[in-house]
Amino acid sequence: MYLTPRQIRYAPMDLTETADEQAFRAEARAWLEANVPSAPLPSFDTAEGFELHRQWEAKLYEGRWSAVSWPVEYGGRGADYVKWLIFEEEYWRSGAPGRVSQNGIFLLGPTIIEVGTPEQKARFLPAMAKSDEIWAQAWSEPDAGSDMASIRSKAALSDDGSEWIINGQKIWASRAAWADWCFGIFRTDPESSRHKGLTFILMPLDTPGITVRPIAQLDGDTGFAEIFFDDVHVPIENTLGGVGNGWSVAMATAGFERGVSLRSPARFNVAVDRLIKLWIKIGDPDDDTMRDAVTDLWMQAEGYRLHTYMTVTKLLEGGHIGSESSLNKIFWSEMDVRAHELALQLLGPDAERIDGPHERWVDGFLFSLSGPLYAGTNEIQRNIIADRVLNLPRG
Amino acid sequence: MKFSFTSDQQQFAAGLREMLEREFTAAHLRQVWETGAGHDAALWSRLAEMGVLSMMLPEADGGMGGSFVDTILLIEELGRAAVPGPVIETMTVGALALAGTPWAAGVADGSVAVTAALMGERYVPHTAVAGVVLLSDHDSIRAIETSQLQLTEVEGIDHGRQLVTLAGTETAGVFVGSDRETATDAGSLAAAAYLLGLSSRMLAIAGDYARDRRQFGQPIGSFQAVKHLMADALLKVEFARPAVYRAAWSHATDSDTRARDVSMAKSLASDAAQKAARSALQVHGAIGYTWECDLQLFMKKAWALMPAWGSASYHRRRVSDAVLGPR
Repeated sequence: MYLTPRQIRYAPMDLTETADEQAFRAEARAWLEANVPSAPLPSFDTAEGFELHRQWEAKLYEGRWSAVSWPVEYGGRGADYVKWLIFEEEYWRSGAPGRVSQNGIFLLGPTIIEVGTPEQKARFLPAMAKSDEIWAQAWSEPDAGSDMASIRSKAALSDDGSEWIINGQKIWASRAAWADWCFGIFRTDPESSRHKGLTFILMPLDTPGITVRPIAQLDGDTGFAEIFFDDVHVPIENTLGGVGNGWSVAMATAGFERGVSLRSPARFNVAVDRLIKLWIKIGDPDDDTMRDAVTDLWMQAEGYRLHTYMTVTKLLEGGHIGSESSLNKIFWSEMDVRAHELALQLLGPDAERIDGPHERWVDGFLFSLSGPLYAGTNEIQRNIIADRVLNLPRG
Repeated sequence: MKFSFTSDQQQFAAGLREMLEREFTAAHLRQVWETGAGHDAALWSRLAEMGVLSMMLPEADGGMGGSFVDTILLIEELGRAAVPGPVIETMTVGALALAGTPWAAGVADGSVAVTAALMGERYVPHTAVAGVVLLSDHDSIRAIETSQLQLTEVEGIDHGRQLVTLAGTETAGVFVGSDRETATDAGSLAAAAYLLGLSSRMLAIAGDYARDRRQFGQPIGSFQAVKHLMADALLKVEFARPAVYRAAWSHATDSDTRARDVSMAKSLASDAAQKAARSALQVHGAIGYTWECDLQLFMKKAWALMPAWGSASYHRRRVSDAVLGPR
């Protein structure tokens, strides 16, 4: 579905969907209507909710909707980015459950497709697409948060060179409380510092020597965890992207996360549509300040959607996403907080109820607050924009 | 779905940018200010010769027959250079309203500049350098030669955008159209695109200064407070951009959502320009507060254009009527 140079040169802007895109949208909508659970599932950050979400992922896989943008041979549909966005629009509009498989399918999967060996692709991708294996990410350490390059967890080669022996500690590992596998970067060259000497390694969370200690997050559920590594043996084959290349492999993953995949615009369009419905239902029609604020939110969500369509067109035409992906991350995360703040303001006395009648806005509010913090705080993103997009001198 | 410009469209815009960087620097703009000319006649001819001014004029009138999508990047470049005079009015509202009239040939060859006051403006910009002014009666548009009007100068903040009040407009002129809203949407959208270019220029000027100016032994651009100020301004500009481009498509295709899309574009572009101007000034410190600093030429253009063709709040209300239902 990629455009040829000739088409790029002569195909004019067209913001309508092709017949093929429309058919894809109709197919996705019909499947979701027939299959989305009628009642919301419990949070996937609980033991019960996690398994129910895993079952939902398996159902998505059966319909070949779990990884639409992946190649067909690994369980995807080979959908281009525009179709992926269309799927996301239909997915969130349908009220389908959150994606417990996010870390794998949207972050690690594309990285394996890009830099993995044929054996790694065959071993990991189908199980990921089916959610037989659900992934946690293990980036941060107690002393390596925003300053991720100061990672100290070590992986040393065994004497025969067949295994990594890992020692150290990771923290804020999302989904680690219940996930099957984790991926992260570890210091494999003890003499190295900063971005050098790091290696990207994959391992099952039930490997002997691994202790997972769940952390209750702001909403009380255990969405992330600490992971302790005590002489953990991992086969050398589980190295992704080559020894010593961990930083660049991780940055490819992180760039993708910030740029396109982590928060597709549809989530926000749906949230803002709910906000608008709430405003129509309970807002004070004479409150112009609130009316303007809701309108601003609509424009932001719509602006983000348009920005994403511009980005994916650029990718389809052979361009790349660079550091400007940091702009996206700031934009969606702050917009999401604002949307939820406004909803709570509209709800007035009902806002603080966590069993409230209004579609659990307060849960979404708590969740939205994580956005500006994770995947690199928004302050780090602003530094990246200043340094690499605005070309300001490094501090 | 294809949300991008063709290489022809991009190359034409790039060519215009190169020409303006070479032939219309901040020093040229300052000269327009100092001579009180209100525009640059040589530049105007150059823009006519390139086909920039007549991009939206039909081929039958000697124009390029382009759409708003063909034109939007050009307007952004004109904004980046803060080109003075009624350039956005002539290219968009003028080309649309005067197509098929005896003035059309003059729009194409650069001999007729067009200005407009279609939204009840108290002060009409660029009238002294325009040959024709477009005025509205309810939904219809009249074209009047400025020589038939009495102009009274009013001093505005942007000397590349001279203002007048008009007298003698009651009966003069000829009917040239009955679709005022298409025309005002064209003007609003053109202003939005121009503001986008201006905003990028102001951030570029601030970036140059932040790399160059040293305090505490290092460039001020290395300080996080400065970095974050500029990153926030860039964020506003970059998320206004797709809204402006989409509105161009909506205008070109006469989409059902044209009014909403144009208003979204102008609202976001005005807010972005305000943020860019304010941030660029802050980065400069005291030097930015001087007449000598070129930044003022661009900030003042932004401040003049933000309320023109409908302010951000006017357009936000128009979006809310479309999205939330009328009040």
